[in-house]
This record gives sequence, C-alpha cells and structure tokens, in this order.
Amino acid sequence: MMRRHPVYLVCSPYPRVGTSTTARLLADFHIVEKRPFCTFDTDPHERMLSTYFPAETVVADLSVTRGQIALFDRLLVPSPEARIVDIWTRSYRHFFAQAGDIGFFEEAERLQLEPIVLFVTNGSFDSVDAADEIVRTWPSLPMIVVSDEGAAPLGEAVHDHLASFHTDRNFQIPALDPILRRQIENPQFSLSRFMLYPPNDMSLVVRADLRTWLRSVFAQFHSYDLRNALEGTRYLLK
Amino acid sequence: MKPAVILVGADKGGVGKTTVSRALLDYLAANDIPARAFDTEAPRGTLQRFHPAVTKIVDVTQTADQMRIFDTLSDTNAAVTVIDVRAGQLSNTLRALRDVGFLDAVNEGEFTFVLFHVLGPSVSSLGEIAEIAPFVTEAHYFLVKNFINDTTFFEWDPKTYSSYFSKVKSSGDITVPKLDEMACEKVEVAGVPFAAFVAGKSGKGDSAQNSFVLRGYVRTWLRNISSELDRVGLRSLLLPKPRRR
Repeated sequence: MMRRHPVYLVCSPYPRVGTSTTARLLADFHIVEKRPFCTFDTDPHERMLSTYFPAETVVADLSVTRGQIALFDRLLVPSPEARIVDIWTRSYRHFFAQAGDIGFFEEAERLQLEPIVLFVTNGSFDSVDAADEIVRTWPSLPMIVVSDEGAAPLGEAVHDHLASFHTDRNFQIPALDPILRRQIENPQFSLSRFMLYPPNDMSLVVRADLRTWLRSVFAQFHSYDLRNALEGTRYLLK
Repeated sequence: MKPAVILVGADKGGVGKTTVSRALLDYLAANDIPARAFDTEAPRGTLQRFHPAVTKIVDVTQTADQMRIFDTLSDTNAAVTVIDVRAGQLSNTLRALRDVGFLDAVNEGEFTFVLFHVLGPSVSSLGEIAEIAPFVTEAHYFLVKNFINDTTFFEWDPKTYSSYFSKVKSSGDITVPKLDEMACEKVEVAGVPFAAFVAGKSGKGDSAQNSFVLRGYVRTWLRNISSELDRVGLRSLLLPKPRRR
C-alpha cells in the first residue's frame, strides 16, 4: 500500500495554548527520525518555526494572496517530505475557509497527501465546538487533539475533556519545569540536536528531565505512526 | 428549441460587461448549452481574446453586421447568442434591435431575449434604467451588480433606487462577487476563459502552471456566479421544458 505523505496542520482558535510548541516538537521529531520535512509559519510577526528551522521554513502571511500561494501551492508540490504548518490563531478561520473554498483537501487527497489536523485545545467547551466544526465539514479529515499541559493545563478534567471530542486520538504534552522551559525557549537551543548529541556541559538533572519530557512526546508521535502503519497493513498475523 | 439572445450591456464604461459575458459563456459551456458570441468592441474585441473560437467582432449599428447576427439566429447550431455591447451603446443597440424588428419577433414568441444590464456604482447607472425601459418590456431583464472590481454601491439612496426600479419590470438582480485581484490579473494575462484557467489549461489546450490558490479563487468565483444564474432561473429560460401533449 502506498504511504501518503502527511501534511500536519497544527492549529487552535485560541492563542498561547501551545500550537507553535507542538509544531516545533513535530519538526524536531522528524529530524531525530531522519525524515525529510518542511515547515510553514503563518504568523508573520512571531516566527517560531523559522527561528528554530530557518532552512526548512517558509513564512506565509495568509492575509495576502502571495502568502496564500506560498503556503497552499507549496503544500501541494509532489515531494516525499512531511509538511508541518503552524497555523496562527488569527489565521485559523481564514485558513479553513480558504482551504474549503479552493478545494485544498480534495486536491491533497488526489495528490496522495494526507492532511492531519492537530487541534490544540484550551480546555473550554468552545474548543470542542470549534473542533467539531472541522469534523463536520471534513468528516474524513484525521484529527488529533493536543493538550499542552504547560501552556493550557486541563487539570483533573483532562480525560473528561478529551473524551468530549469526536476523535479518539490525542497527544498530551506534559508541563515543563520553568527552568527547562527557559532553556528550550532559547532561540539557539535545538531539541533534536539535544536528543541526538546531548551536551556535556548541561546539568545532569536538566538533561535527564528534558530527555524524559521529549521522549514522552516523541513516543506519542511514534505510537501514532505505528497505529497508522498497522491500520494500513493488508495482512496481519493472527 | 427557441433561439435565445443574451445582450450584456451598460451605457457606462468600466463596469465589467466583458467579464460578465466571459463568465456567462463559461456558464453556458458548463451546462452544455451551445453558444456563440458577438463582441461589439470593433475593431478589436476583448471578449474575442478570451473566447476566440466562438466570438466574432461586429459593429451592431451596421446593417451588414446586424444581418450576420439576427438573420442567422435560427440557422446556427448555437442555442444562445451572447452579444457583448460596447460601452455607451446599450440604448443605441436596443433601438437598433427594435428597428430591425427583433423585439417584435421576441414579442411574437420567435426568440427568447435576455438583457443583462451591468450597473455601475453611481446614480448615473440608475438613469440608464429609465432610458432603456421602453425597449425591454419583452425582455427578461436582469440587473447585474458587478463587485469584481471591489465596487461599492453605497452611493445609492434606497428611495432613489426604488423609484428607478419601479420604472422597469426586472426579472431579478444578479450579483457578481469580487474576484481576488491577483487571480483576476493572472487570468487576464493568460487570455483564456475562466473555466480553462481553473482547469489549468492554456489557450491552446496544453497544461498551464497556474497557481492552485488562484485557480481555487476563480473556481469559487465561477461557482458563485453559476449559483446566481441558477437562482434567477437562467437555464430554464434558455432551455424551457418541452410541453407535454
């Protein structure tokens, strides 16, 4: 079975919930796994992805036609690389409205691409409604609900909240100690370089905690990949 | 099937008559309604540049050209004849249609006559309505508000608006939505029908590297116009259902 190339659409209608962090983690996961990828920053003001992946990132301002072309046309170029789009909160509605208007999802399917929505929640009922709207509009579009416990903690209600989404797939990004968060927010700090070549000059405690944090996130990405691979397998041993 | 003539015109220039004619030809082709067109922008025609296979340039005020259009209505394979009237010539063209007896023939049920009156944003467009009203009693008369150039129609006071509209029996309003400027410009440069641009084709039918986003904009725009034309019942006007015996 031919594997379709993923287009990860990391999005949320709410700011500061961990959308860019999720996109960044996904990109670093691809580096660690030695998989080709490219990233798209749709926030022309705070370009997190282009800070950490300058060579792989296209900045596309969706408020202008040229930016829309830079994003959608590039996403549809046939190539084996995964595409990771960090959809800025202010571009959220515009992105999906335009994708619908221009028939982006239908064209992606025709080109053997697999758009996957990573919907980052903030714990509100409104976020469930917003995710439902996407599911209703594009029922065959895979969706993963992401909760970033550091940016938008769901607390004890996490399971109930995640269960209210019409998708059984979710990623949970554990909260990070403030010291570690400051460390990873340094524009010079690469998560993938840290995983591949752990620095000797870093505190052992910081190093261990960061590795644990990254492993827990990457394990979820792995598990999603494996589940997809299994579902796509034609023959299974009984 | 009764031959139909669709006249697209306005007395004011720059309101997008040719754009409406182009979209109309795409709509007819999409609905498998054979059509031909006459571009009255002699000696060079914009409509002909986009639809060369079905368009001829004529001067509708000249007898020879009037014969080319109206004497062939029943002979041609085209079910619909679209006439893109040059700016400022709508009243004169309608007068010529009356003088050659076309309007009488419409009255007798020989032809279907549809007029698309493309309005500009100013009150002077409303003045045109009063001017052409005497000629359009037998026509299916549609007022077309063309927003393609981001036109706003705010200059129209509702009272003024309704006073003009009471003078003419309109079959309905058609709204042509705004098309993204870059998409509009790229289609202009490509010099192809909107539908060909959407399909990623050049004028010669080869594949063209048009941006997916721009094709998407044009596709949505065409779909919206098509919905508008369906809403006002254009298809059933042109292809009336056969009567049961």
